[in-house]
Parts: sequence; C-alpha cells; structure tokens
Amino acid sequence: MEHTSEVLHHEGHGHHDATEGKKEVWRITLYLTILTLVELAIGYYMYKAGLENGFFKNMLKGLIVALMMWKAFYIVGYFMHLKHELRNFALTVVVPLFLFIWFIIAFLADGNSYNHLRNTYDKNHQERASLKMEKKEVEHGHGKEHHTGEGHTGEELK
Amino acid sequence: MATTATTKTKWWAGGRSPFNVEYGKVMMWYFLMSDAFTFGAFLIAYGTTRFATNGWPDPNQVFNSFPGLGSGFPLLFVSLMTFILIVSSVTMVLAVKAGQEMKKNEVVKYLIWTIIGGICFLSCQAWEWAHLHHEGAWWGSNPFPNHDGTLSSTNFTNFFFTITGFHGFHVLSGVVINIVMLIMTLNDTFEKRGHYLMIEKAGLYWHFVDLVWVFVFTCFYLI
Amino acid sequence: MSNEAVLHANVGVSGHDAHHDEHHGHHHETFISKYVFSMDHKMIAKQFLITGMVWAVLGGLMSVLFRLQLGYPDSTFPWLEDILGKWAKGGRISAEAYYALVTTHGTVLVFFVLTAGLSGTFSNFLIPLQIGARDMASPLMNMLSYWFFFIASIVMLSSVFIETGPFSGGWTAYPPLSALGDASPGSKTGMDLWLTAMALFVVSQLLAGLNYIATILNMRTKGMSMTRLPLTIWALFFTAVLGVLSFPVLFSGFILLIFDRNFGTSFYLSDIFLSTTNTALPNEGGSAILYQHLFWFLGHPEVYIILLPAMGMASEVLSTNARKPIFGYMAMVGSMFAIAVLAFLVWAHHMFVTGLNPFLGSIFVLLTLLIAVPSAIKVFNWLTTLWRGNIRFTPAMMFAIGFVSLFISGGLTGIWLGNSALDIHLHDTYFVIAHFHIVMGVASMFGMFAGVYHWYPKMYGTYMNNTLAYIHFWITLIGAYLIFWPMHYEGLAGMPRRYYDYGVWESFKQFVELNRFISTVVIIVFAAQFFFLFNFFYSIFKGRKVTTTNPWGSNTLEWTTPIKPGHGNWTGEIPEVHRWAYDYGKDGQDFIPQTVPVGDNETQH
Repeated sequence: MEHTSEVLHHEGHGHHDATEGKKEVWRITLYLTILTLVELAIGYYMYKAGLENGFFKNMLKGLIVALMMWKAFYIVGYFMHLKHELRNFALTVVVPLFLFIWFIIAFLADGNSYNHLRNTYDKNHQERASLKMEKKEVEHGHGKEHHTGEGHTGEELK
Repeated sequence: MATTATTKTKWWAGGRSPFNVEYGKVMMWYFLMSDAFTFGAFLIAYGTTRFATNGWPDPNQVFNSFPGLGSGFPLLFVSLMTFILIVSSVTMVLAVKAGQEMKKNEVVKYLIWTIIGGICFLSCQAWEWAHLHHEGAWWGSNPFPNHDGTLSSTNFTNFFFTITGFHGFHVLSGVVINIVMLIMTLNDTFEKRGHYLMIEKAGLYWHFVDLVWVFVFTCFYLI
Repeated sequence: MSNEAVLHANVGVSGHDAHHDEHHGHHHETFISKYVFSMDHKMIAKQFLITGMVWAVLGGLMSVLFRLQLGYPDSTFPWLEDILGKWAKGGRISAEAYYALVTTHGTVLVFFVLTAGLSGTFSNFLIPLQIGARDMASPLMNMLSYWFFFIASIVMLSSVFIETGPFSGGWTAYPPLSALGDASPGSKTGMDLWLTAMALFVVSQLLAGLNYIATILNMRTKGMSMTRLPLTIWALFFTAVLGVLSFPVLFSGFILLIFDRNFGTSFYLSDIFLSTTNTALPNEGGSAILYQHLFWFLGHPEVYIILLPAMGMASEVLSTNARKPIFGYMAMVGSMFAIAVLAFLVWAHHMFVTGLNPFLGSIFVLLTLLIAVPSAIKVFNWLTTLWRGNIRFTPAMMFAIGFVSLFISGGLTGIWLGNSALDIHLHDTYFVIAHFHIVMGVASMFGMFAGVYHWYPKMYGTYMNNTLAYIHFWITLIGAYLIFWPMHYEGLAGMPRRYYDYGVWESFKQFVELNRFISTVVIIVFAAQFFFLFNFFYSIFKGRKVTTTNPWGSNTLEWTTPIKPGHGNWTGEIPEVHRWAYDYGKDGQDFIPQTVPVGDNETQH
C-alpha cells in the first residue's frame, strides 16, 4: 500500500561484494594518505625554503587547496558513499555547495579591500603593522590577560 | 519526467523515495550540508580577516612542538592528529560495511576502534591547546609575532581556538553518538530492527567531522 | 520509513478516526499529548499560528508605542508611565525605550511572526495534507522544532522585563553596539538574552527545515510527481532550503559575536573609544563589516523565507478563486527557484554604504537587479491568472489580490534601492522603511491572512465570518498604503530612520503633520486587527459549521480528507494523484480534483 518505505536493495552493492568493498576502502585510505603526505611535503618545503610572499608561494598554496578538494572528494564520494547513491541525490547535496564560490570570492575580496582602504586612509593601521613584537616569556601568559588583549596595545601604539 | 519510459524506474512519480534513500539519511545529509555552511562561514570569516590584516604568524613557527620531543618539529604533531582521524574514519567505514552485512561482532569491533580514534584525537587536541595556552595563547591573547617578527593580530589565536574548538566539539559529539551506537548494537537493537541504518547515519556524521578537519588542517596549519 | 510506519512508531493512530470517538481503544490521547506535546502536524501548525499571533500583537503594539513618540513628540501620555514605568517617565517614551521597542519590533516581526508564524504554520499544515502524507517525516523533530521556538519566545519575551531592558541596537544587531556591554543599557543582559533566543530560534528552524525537505521529497503519495505539486508546496520547499542553508551562517556569526562579547576576542572590533566609560578598548584587527556580511548572508535569504510562503499561498488562492488554472505553472516554479538561488548572491546590497568595496558593490547591484526578472514573471502570471477569471471575492481572495498589489508597489521601489548610486542617498531613510515594510512585511502578512482565511475551514471545521473579514481587509489594505506610501516622500527628502525625535531638524519640520497622520493610521490599523483576532477565536467555537469536505471547490488533496481529519489525515488509504493541481474550468467542468483519473477524451493541459 504505502510505497514510501520501499528502499530498494542498493544498486551499489549489487556488483561488488564485501571483499571488494573492503578493498575499495583500503585503496581510498592509501590515496588519502598519499595526498596528505604530499600536502605536508609542500607545506614543509614552503617553510624550509623560506619563501617570500609572492606568486610562487601563492601557487603552492593554491596547489594545497586543490589537493584538499581532492581529499574531500574521496571522503565524500567513497567514505560517505555519495558516489554510490543515486545521481540525483548526489546532485542535491553537491549543487548547493556551489553557493560557496560567490560566498568565498565576495568575502575575501571585501576583506582585501578593507585592508587596502585602511592602509590607505588609516596611517596608524599601517604603522602598527611594521612594529616589531617582543618575544614573550613563556611564564608570561597564563591567559589571565585575555581581557586586555595583551601583546598588542599599550606601549607599542605610542 | 515522470512517464518517460516504462522500463525505467519512476523515481519521481511519488509513492516512494526519489533517491531510494530512507528519510533519516536524507535528513542527515542535508543536516551535514547545513553544517558545512556553519563551518564554511567560520573558515570564510577567518580568511576574510586574514585578508584584512597586514601580516600573519607562520603556522610552522607556532605549531612546532611534539609531546616528549620539545619544539622544532613543524607539522609533525598535526600530521599525527590528521592520521588518527583518517584511520578512525576508515574503521567507521568498516563498521558501516559490517552493519550492511549484519555482522554484529564486527560492527562492535570497528565501532570500538573508531571511538578510541576519536578519543585519541581529542586528547591530542587537549594537549595542543594546553601547550599553546602555556605559551600564552588564548582567546584575546596572541604571543606569536608575524612571520617577519612584526606585531601580530589576536585574531590568529581567536580564530584558531574558536574553529578548532568548534570542530573538537563536533568530534566530541561524534564520539558520544558512536558510544550510543555501540550500546545499541550490544543491546541487539539493530538486530531486532533488521538493519543497521543508524550506524550508517552515525557514520556519515563521523566522516563529516573528518572532512571538516581536512579543511581546518589545511587552512590553519598549511597555508 | 513509510507513512504508516511513521505513525506506528510514534503515535500509533493509523486508521484512527478522530471524529469517531468510539474508536479510541488502546491509544487514548491525553490532553497533554493532543494539545501540548502533540506530534500531529496539524496541531503543531496551530501552535505555531497562535504563538505567532501572540507575537504579532505584541510586535504590533510596540510599533504603536514608538509611533506615538514619532507622531506626537511633544505630547505626553500619562498612561504610558503606568504600563512602562521608568521607560516612559512623565508619559513620554525615553530614547532608550524607543530604541528597544524598534529593535524588538523588528526582531519579533521578522523572525517570530513572519518566519515561525508564517512558514511554521503553513509548512506544517499544508505539506503533509497537500502531498498526501500521514504526517511529517519525523513528527518528533517537528514537535521539538515548535518547542525550541517556544523557548526562544520565552527568552526573548523575558528580555523585555529585565532591569536594563531589551536589546536596543537594531534588529540587525551590528557590532560594536551588540558586542560591547558598556555601549548602551540594552547591550547588557538584553543582548545576551537576544542572542540566546536567536540561537534557539536557529535550532528550531533547522529542525523544521530538514523535516520539510525530507517530507516533500520522500513522502509524496503515489502519482504526486514534483511537477504535480501545488505551488504552495514548491514555495514552502524553497523556503525550507533557504533556511537550512542560510541560518547556519547566521549561527556562526552569532558565535563569533558571543566570543567578542564575553571572551575578549576582536573578530568584529577594532579601534574603539567608548565614551560611556571613557576608555580606549584594546581590541584590534577586527572588522564590523565582517559581521554585516555574515548577518546579511542570512538576512537576505530571510526576506525570501518570509515572502515565498506568501507567494505560494497567494498563487493557490488566486487560482482556486479565479476558477482558472494558474498561468505558467512551470514559470512560477522556475522563478521561485531563480529567486531562491539569487537570494544567496545579493546579500551585500544591504551594505552599499558601510565601506564595502564599490566595485564589489557594482556586482551586487547587477545580481540584485536580476531578481526583478523572476519577480516580474510571478506578478504577470498572477495577473494573467486573474484575467477573465470567474472571480469569487472570498476574504482569502481579497487578501491574495491585496498581496499582489502590495508586492508590486513595494517591489518597484526595490529597483531604486538596488542601485548603489541611488542607495547612497536613500539608505537608512524612511524610503527603505517604506520599501521593505510593503514588499516583505505587509505583503507577507497579507499572504498569511489569505492562508488563514482560506484554510481555516480545514483547520477548525468552521468558517470565519465574512463581514468581519471584509472590514478587516479594507481597513488593513487602505491603512497599509496610508502608513507606508507617505514614508517614501519622507525618505526621498532624506529623513533618516531610527531617530528618536525629528523636531530639532529644520528640514524635517515639514513632516510633523505627516508623521502625526501616519501614527494615527497605525493606531487604527492596529485596532482593526482585533476584527481578525475576534473572528478567529470566536469562529473556532461558534463559527458556521463546514458541511462539505471541499467548501472552496478546490483540487488539492487536503480537501479529500474528512472535515476534521484525525492524526493520519485520511481514514482509509491515501488517495492516488492523477493530475496537476490546477484543472479549473477544464472541458466545461468547474474543477477536477487531483485524485480524478485522466479521462480518455480529456484535452491535454
């Protein structure tokens, strides 16, 4: 009578049995590990080579973001099984995420513009950025000063 | 679209789930989607603030300690944390698969491993927080200078603690959910129901936590 | 889970026939389980509606109070001191109280009345009935959604009674006013309660939204394909999607705000000197614009969360009462989809003058003006649905037509405001107030009234009184225009919103009479709402009884249920659907319900 309940046996399982499913899990685990290691290698290289901010460093960061998306694809697609769901369902989950594109672009662009505006019109903002910061003693902070936001205020600004 | 060909399954004609997915799983997926917007908003706010700030501390100089080894090991500890979370995700997949095959003992075994992984991750995070706190970092206080030694913004630590804290809260609730699942499995609740769909839903949540960590890890420790 | 299983698992009343009382065997419903912690979607809908009505009265009363100040700035009303105490010393509302009233009025009307009260009511009521389901996918979550809303209501209401008063920094809660407790009295405990209430409200909306989406997708009855859904369901579906995707972003923004308030962070704060305490704050590096981005990423979709249900219900009511198929069904669905997508892309048009990058602003102008296209499609489709229709002017129909009128009037000024160059002059003036009150506030209220008058027989099994309804309609429609139309002129003259007293500006003295006129109309319109309230509650008990299952001659499935459906909605099997919902006046028949199979020699639609 009621058909809503009828969830057919999953097509995804039809052709690959239990052992094959486990194999897939280990394969994806291997991929994820490799991708993570590559990310870490790039991160370590950026640190060791002491790269200055610039085109090359940004390219590397972009590469890391691309690898991150690739990992996300594996996790969502295989661990969360989305690749084995019906295509329509996968689309309803994935398509709304495209809203993030404009979400990210607009926010970051405006953050950048805000910084630019402050550097242009608020000299204090720029001067502050060139002040050297004293290295803190380890004993110094036990979080007590978190209301005063120590480390930023006071003397340096004068 | 409802009546294209008789051989095709009429997914959208009503009287059934168009996705061949039970409603609880649909809700879990869409909840995760909305939670993705929560985390997305946090990370985008973090990015926006970083773009709006001159200079930023180098994570490799900040997160360079390892318990027992001291400092000078950038990325090492966070690699361990990442690895723990990925492994716990793998055991969760195996638990879900065992559930689909109705193998109660395997479900129990893998759930326990997943819970252990989750607790290990939380312990690592607790150690890292305690360590950073000891160095003087907390909400509203940032002892770490920018990479070129200039005065940095407290928003470095503000965002770090808020976002990893929010993620840690998700891990914690994931562990709690998994423990509940374990108890239910041991009580034969799912055997009686005839399916382990609840484990699948808990699994989705757990993988999502792992997924978020992929993003948090990249945004805070790598770039 | 099947429709039957939902009921077995949770309440166990499938096949239960509520108006045949001999049948209450082993699952006797207590007062608590039937009226309080009910899991029946129809009861939850009524709970949302009545809570929403309480809030509407309170929110409306607040507007009357602050309009008194605006209309009669030099007069005193001693009775105000009696009810407001220190907030109205000497019979004149203090500036603090004025801002608190404005803020609470906005928050309450936008979130509690027009979000929870409107989409909460009609999503709950109509989704299962119109798609042919026994109940929501998860009745338990549905119940929780109402109770989270209820707790949020209690918290918000309690903020009115505390020593320092409710939050007074505007419904948008921009920092630093919302982030610094020392900034104003209302920024102290009032703001904490405001944030708590809103966080609970977000939880309520998520629980509800996920449920609505899962129900609409998974639980449609046999034959009810997506393209046969009534437009109400499509509208409520997009509303739920908007809520699920945008409320989390607001939630994130609130969490950062809570940290700024309580834990010494500087997400939104930078370079602040506080005159109330005469101190320079240490906070550095944050940006108030970031909060505004996060807020409006919800805030703009929120506008459509409010408006879409009204659009859907107006479509349904217009088509039913014009006895004509809705014009351009797929165009209606498509334009609602377009609106839902665009809702997420245009948020920064609320921020043209906050320091937003002007180039970025110009992109937001373009995206904003694009919304005019689907909006216009919808308007033309409503008008062409009416065109040469055999119109029955029921109260619901009057309100639906009123909705279209208001949507046009208010929508046109949106085109002005969407242009950043014009917005430099018009932002934060009464022009904006007029625009959004007409297009979002009053129009959605009209959609809600249309819905209540139309589905009242289904809700309570009685009719509301038509005479009272017509009086209510005409006073409200004419009143709404008389209140908000003049505000356009004030806004064009540069009169800013949110000011306590305009008397000190020579340039606004010319509006003293106009302000007084507006305030007078506000009082009349507010009073006229009691025609509705009386009608509503009186008719529950004494209204004319409904004697036929389908009093409006309507096609949709809710009218195939018994006059007073029990939990489970249909006594026997759920009917199967064979056609779309808009076969009015087809092949010489007045209407053909969705359950009637397509005949052999029927014309194609």
